[in-house]
Amino acid sequence: MSEIIGKTESLCPECLKTIPAEKIAEDDEIYLVKTCPDHGSFKSLIWRGVADYKDLERYACVHSKAPRIAVKESGTCPEVCGLCPDHQQHTCLVVLEITNSCNLKCPICFASANERYRFHPSMDEIRGMFQTIVDYVQHPIAVQISGGEPTIRDDLPDVVRMGKSMGVDYIEVNTNAVRLAEDIEYLKKIKEAGVDSLYFSFDGVTGDVFMKTCGRDLFAIKVKALENCASVGMGVTLVTVVSPGINLHQVGDVINFAKKWIPTVKGIHFQPLSYFGRYPIVPKDEDRVVLPDLLKEIEKQTNGELRADNFIPTSCANVHCDAKSMSILMEDGSLFPLTQRALGPPRETKDVASKTRKEICDLWRYIEESIGTAGQDDLDGTWLGFIERAKSRYLTVSSMPFQDVWNVETERLRNCCIHTVTPDGRLIPFCLFNINSLNGGTLYRHEIFSKFKKG
Amino acid sequence: MDVKIPNEVMEVIGKRGIKEADVKDVVMTAESAKKKLKSNGRNLAKKKIGDVTVYVDYELEKGILKEHANVKSAYSHRMSLGDIVNATDKTNWICVHCGEPAMAGHVAMTYMQVTRNGPAVVCQKCKDSWVEEYLATKTLAAAEGLFEKKRA
Repeated sequence: MSEIIGKTESLCPECLKTIPAEKIAEDDEIYLVKTCPDHGSFKSLIWRGVADYKDLERYACVHSKAPRIAVKESGTCPEVCGLCPDHQQHTCLVVLEITNSCNLKCPICFASANERYRFHPSMDEIRGMFQTIVDYVQHPIAVQISGGEPTIRDDLPDVVRMGKSMGVDYIEVNTNAVRLAEDIEYLKKIKEAGVDSLYFSFDGVTGDVFMKTCGRDLFAIKVKALENCASVGMGVTLVTVVSPGINLHQVGDVINFAKKWIPTVKGIHFQPLSYFGRYPIVPKDEDRVVLPDLLKEIEKQTNGELRADNFIPTSCANVHCDAKSMSILMEDGSLFPLTQRALGPPRETKDVASKTRKEICDLWRYIEESIGTAGQDDLDGTWLGFIERAKSRYLTVSSMPFQDVWNVETERLRNCCIHTVTPDGRLIPFCLFNINSLNGGTLYRHEIFSKFKKG
Repeated sequence: MDVKIPNEVMEVIGKRGIKEADVKDVVMTAESAKKKLKSNGRNLAKKKIGDVTVYVDYELEKGILKEHANVKSAYSHRMSLGDIVNATDKTNWICVHCGEPAMAGHVAMTYMQVTRNGPAVVCQKCKDSWVEEYLATKTLAAAEGLFEKKRA
């Protein structure tokens, strides 16, 4: 029994041409099926649970377009991107890559770091990218400095200060944290320069997981880096690349690990492995962790402490792009989730992107402003204590599987709110920027960055 | 009985999302059932309307033919009040229903399946409790807001 439940466009995995695609429901699973006139048909799993897939539509927000865009002509999505008039959602988070060099050489890397050419923009080129950001993105502006590994640059504190002085409101650094474990003085410097938090890759709780994802056992180094973050007061989101063959069985362990590191650890972001960058296989359906698979595993491995029902779309990007939960760590060490599908979608679905930007920049200020600090000694078990805990003893658990050349839908690209800034003055949806073909060709990453290579 | 709500109070209850008709309903119900707190001319009445408990703080004023209620303030919360946990200190409030002094204590309060304690004025004899304005508009509003905010 199969049924067509939607039509969209996708890309050919061989030639990257835009080709028509259908979403087909089959045995309670949803597949993207597409045919390239030159390279034949392709079929990829995109979801498990047809009713769930359709139910999520009620979380769709009223999109709000970017006030200014770099590309004037429409009708060319996704070939001419920058953003263009067809793009539906403005920017919540900008990814700014300041190098493609790295102090690791992981077998898995979306950015294909340390390959082909050296992209390592000068301070003037970085200033230009910050200028693109402040020209096109509304406040509050949130930027993730990424790479490669940003901490290999000794001038990262200068980069951060420059961004803040040009008007960026919030800066997080995407890092493997190796240098931050070894060099606490450097960590202090980037904090003083204005880094607000770290997007800290953390793939599991045992050495064998790191052997597979990073090529060496980094667990002790990650713990040392967290200790350093705790001592300097740097907040951390743990980012876990999730793959069925490597660490899907450890998602519960990662959550338990994170609980012990609250309040240094503010959240966990599970990143189901996408098949772009350095991961050279043609993925089979069993290589895929789609969002419902991840949520089921979280529910199972936490014994229901976090249930699939506690995860809701942020309603900022496409409703099938992400899921997020937010919990308070209670006095007995358990997580109390504040998010529930049963509560229904947000009442206010207009201009979600500006709310998301504010939330990224300033989680919980709402609560801090709404009440004073408690002066009572014994708050355990009281509502005031509950709120006091909510301010600092919380954990977000979220996930946003990236689209790759196999499962990409152009409609989702047009709904995207996470954009990579390029040195040629454009903002490009993160997935689209990174997508590569079977032979390693990209539409944007290598085409743009190689023009700015430094050797 | 006439229930008078001055303009400045109307503005406050509007901001708090409370309807004028509900304020009047709370006062009329309390006066006819003789269920309220009383202290030096002040009255505090409450009524659960739907999921929301609405409180009205008012004074009674004798007119030529009948009494007027002058509303001083109104507020609400969505938590449901459960058992009295303790009653520790004396207050100036009298429970009109039983005529006994009401005490300051703590009550179990439940919202979204979470039960935590919070301070309240309690009548142990009637097993009834009243949340004061500072708690409803600050702590409970923040806690309720926390859940509401997390829909998005």
